[in-house]
Amino acid sequence: MVNIVMESTGELIQYRKVNTVIQLLNRLKLKSSEVLVIRGRELLTPDREIGTEGEIRIRHVVSRG
Amino acid sequence: MKCRRCGELAQVALPSHHTGFCAPCYETYFLRQVERGIHEHKQFSKDDKLVLAVSGGKDSLGLLLALTELGYTVTALHIDLAIPVSSENARSTVEAFCAKHGIDCHVLEMAGKGLPIPEVKKKVNRPICSVCGKVKRHWFNRFAYEEGFDVLATGHNLDDEAARLFANTLRWDQAYLSGQGPVNPAEGRFVKKVKPLCRLTEYETAVWCFLKGIDHVLAACPYSGGASFTGHKKLLADLEERSPGMKMQFYEHFLKSGKPAFEAAVKSQPPLNECSDCGFPSSQEMCGVCRIKRLLEA
Repeated sequence: MVNIVMESTGELIQYRKVNTVIQLLNRLKLKSSEVLVIRGRELLTPDREIGTEGEIRIRHVVSRG
Repeated sequence: MKCRRCGELAQVALPSHHTGFCAPCYETYFLRQVERGIHEHKQFSKDDKLVLAVSGGKDSLGLLLALTELGYTVTALHIDLAIPVSSENARSTVEAFCAKHGIDCHVLEMAGKGLPIPEVKKKVNRPICSVCGKVKRHWFNRFAYEEGFDVLATGHNLDDEAARLFANTLRWDQAYLSGQGPVNPAEGRFVKKVKPLCRLTEYETAVWCFLKGIDHVLAACPYSGGASFTGHKKLLADLEERSPGMKMQFYEHFLKSGKPAFEAAVKSQPPLNECSDCGFPSSQEMCGVCRIKRLLEA
């Protein structure tokens, strides 16, 4: 299972399989320029593969005041 | 994706530059963009006495570290707005960051100046973000002027500048369009103001903060819901996704071709007065911040 943690809300979303970062962003309806996609201590570019397990953190970058 | 500079696996994709970088090469890229923004617009030199307005968010703390790494001596200036929880978190984040990096840090408490923002919000019948911005700009400038700083820097980035330009253009606001840009020269009691992140987007600053392990405030201001600039940023982000590099073009072409025309158009504006209370520049007899303070005292 791939666990997706939305840092802004703390929401946890689970997927059985996510092929790539761009597929994940499309499912979450996010643009690659709006968020950091974090796995462990590294950032993932849109072309990176994700697979069937692990934790991905999504951090919004747009200032809201 | 491979890093353009060294060929290692990239961690950052930058469609507007048709490129990607690994972590170490991205840090080099980021610092070069900050330095380029400073030099291209003649913002300041290492001889200038520099103060940076620091909110505790990613842009100001990221810039503070970047300027320090580039060899500039910077003083941090934080304004404690007295908003419960939010202001305490912001202040402790800034103070911890400055202590960790050995940076001189000053805090101005708005409660002590008769301007706690929660009380201002209760009394003023205008959008609080606009009023709060006015209070902060006044006190940042006033501190810089009274303490003898040559330059006041802020963490405004390309997204902030493009959104502001978009808003000003929607209204064809000649006065604001003539004054927008990465440098506002010193004039009277106005200290020179600069925006060293003018070439970098919010995404790029967020990446820098992540890679450098900067602990910054993530929560939004509890009063900022529905701020118009957030909506403008979303519109511009849609355009940028379709045409990478559009934001930079919009801003740079304005600086080159649009701003000079607006500057010429507003040259005949009447000079500013000195505020009858604080003595700082004002378009009216008393400046907006002193009027708000009077309102709270009444």
